[in-house]
Amino acid sequence: MLRVLLSKDLRRALRNPLPWLIHLIVPLTLTALTGLVFGGHSDGGALGRIRFAVVDEDKTPLSDVLRGAANQSEGGKYLEPVFMEREEAMGVINAGKISAVLIIPTNFMRNYLTARETVSLELIKNPAESIHPAVLEELLGAVVTALNAVSRNFNSEFSAWQAVFEGREDYHKVSALIERAGDKLMAARKFINPPLVIYEKESPADESNSGAPAKAGGSKGGDANGVFTYLLIGMSAMFLLFIAGSAMSDLFRELRQHTFLRYQTLRDSLVPFLASKAVFAVVMLLLCSAIMLGGGGLIFRIHWQQPLALMTLTVGYTCFTAALFAVLVALMPDERHAVVLNNLAGMGLGMLGGLFPPQQLPAFLRGYITRLLPSFWFVDTARNLQFGGTGVAWGWVALKLAALGVVLIVLAAILFRRRFITGLRT
Amino acid sequence: MAGMSLLRVEHLSKTFGTIRAVDAVNLEVRPGEIYGLLGPNGAGKTTTISMICGLLKPDAGEVLVAGAAFWSDPQKAKRIMGVVPQELAIYEELSGRENLEFWGRMAGLSSREARSRATELLEALILTDRAKDAVNTYSGGMKRRINLGCALLHRPQLLLLDEPTVGIDPQARLNILEFIRNLQASGTGILYTTHYLEEAETLCQRIGIIDHGRLLAEGTLSQLRERLGGDRVFVLEADFKNTSPEAWGGFNQRFRVIQKSERQLVVAAIGACDPSECLKDLLDLPVHAENVTLKRPSLNDVFLQLTGRELRE
Repeated sequence: MLRVLLSKDLRRALRNPLPWLIHLIVPLTLTALTGLVFGGHSDGGALGRIRFAVVDEDKTPLSDVLRGAANQSEGGKYLEPVFMEREEAMGVINAGKISAVLIIPTNFMRNYLTARETVSLELIKNPAESIHPAVLEELLGAVVTALNAVSRNFNSEFSAWQAVFEGREDYHKVSALIERAGDKLMAARKFINPPLVIYEKESPADESNSGAPAKAGGSKGGDANGVFTYLLIGMSAMFLLFIAGSAMSDLFRELRQHTFLRYQTLRDSLVPFLASKAVFAVVMLLLCSAIMLGGGGLIFRIHWQQPLALMTLTVGYTCFTAALFAVLVALMPDERHAVVLNNLAGMGLGMLGGLFPPQQLPAFLRGYITRLLPSFWFVDTARNLQFGGTGVAWGWVALKLAALGVVLIVLAAILFRRRFITGLRT
Repeated sequence: MAGMSLLRVEHLSKTFGTIRAVDAVNLEVRPGEIYGLLGPNGAGKTTTISMICGLLKPDAGEVLVAGAAFWSDPQKAKRIMGVVPQELAIYEELSGRENLEFWGRMAGLSSREARSRATELLEALILTDRAKDAVNTYSGGMKRRINLGCALLHRPQLLLLDEPTVGIDPQARLNILEFIRNLQASGTGILYTTHYLEEAETLCQRIGIIDHGRLLAEGTLSQLRERLGGDRVFVLEADFKNTSPEAWGGFNQRFRVIQKSERQLVVAAIGACDPSECLKDLLDLPVHAENVTLKRPSLNDVFLQLTGRELRE
């Protein structure tokens, strides 16, 4: 029976492929758009090298130090500064070719060393990008903090250093200056090394509590650490909900065409009919997840750590999503209202269940709601699979999701039956 | 099963909110019989059929299919009956053959049986030439025929037809009616709902007249005509605005008023009466008769008498 029902739906889909093609195109477009927005793949890590312009209007030794720091050693792996004049830099950022422009203004060194005026560095961010400019802003914040620390500790020497930079001091005085600086650093060494604040990678057992992308300190290779991987899993979970809602709306077509009604005149149990719809939707959703997770993986060069486990987990999750929307169709006789409800359900489950890192959610939701959501089970387990290594109970979660799907299909059948025998139809 | 009714409906009732859609309906369909359920739109015909085939659960009453209560084993009852809903209930993207085969499989036929039965039905429904075309390229009449065929794959003993000829041209209607007559001839018991008087008169052996959920009268066409007092009625055209037939001496003893309006009075003679005598009596009435017509009573006249309004209104 299930085979006959599925073959009928397959024939219908082949005769009228547009709705189903849209289901496939949506994730394809989303993945491509995400790739475009976040900059796509890179060789240096998930973020890619951040290309930005440096406009040095000060042209002093100190500004040279800042310019040089941007592409030295570790920084060179992630940062790609290009040096140009302000006008040219503005043209390039307007053309969307760089992520930001860092301007070192005239008199930067003099103001810094004399403390006559407030010292400022100017950062112009590319509004078309989100992550790269934000990263640069954070880095610049760190530079400013370092400059402030230097200023607080070496303020008394600044006039002498200014004379050095301006070439007015003789070399004997310069050596004495360096010696004094060394003494100060020696006195402060216990605060500098080891540092007062250290970063430590959390153990896999604790990761479900943190959920932040920063925790992905380095399980296996740099490309698995990406914020994109983290986001992609959450986004896929949410979009699979939307696509499931859309796929299961075929039940409305069956109601409109009265074919669901005719089915009931021949068969007593509604479960096979609903199960076939769910299975068909699951196949469609698996294709969509292959596009989103597989395609996204290609774009971002994500190496999925446990693809088989992720696939099994996705099968369980798609069973749940398809069955959930069968229940929602059964609950909502009006198709227009159902579309709104489906979208709200998709958005709610997606957002609360893992699109955002759990830490960003209010404590009440985090503590009492999120953990109960099947979307969170999927997202959290998939992220743990990717970032947490071994020992993740993905099989149990997949089974739980699939079982929930079966329960929901039976519930949908009961709800439809109740709706029909009381005479409520679309 | 000879003599046993295929379908027996007892005191069937259904209420939606405050509306009594079906009110204590009783009817019976025998093998090889077409029972017509005649009534205007909203009379309760579809609700009655929906309850009989299990789409709706009755508030009260019982449906017996081949002697067994429907709800005691719905699947068994569904195997005996075929249902043709009023609306087209077919997949328009699929071809006629695909639709027939699919519904055949749903009715429990094997793939081979469904294929061979679909071929038979396509031939019987004169659709063999278009069997492979998608249903959405069919005319209204062809769609109706496929809609009918989809209920017949499993050779049901009892067929429930809910206004199967609504919205199609006269030729297509004739084809369908002919097909239904053939089904009846092969022994299928048919419950046929319609609001077309002609269909009920020409097709059905017994007719039930339903209005506002109540079965007002039931019987063969001649039995229903008998209710009017004979096989003829008289239609007088005159100004009846300020007149009352009851006031005319002896009128009520000789004639039964079927309908009275400002311009028309429809009456039937009580007891045996020579038509010319009756006409004479009517022309002697104290009104200026502009026209008097003698005609055979129709189902519409019966309906008129039962409800006070015409079925076509």
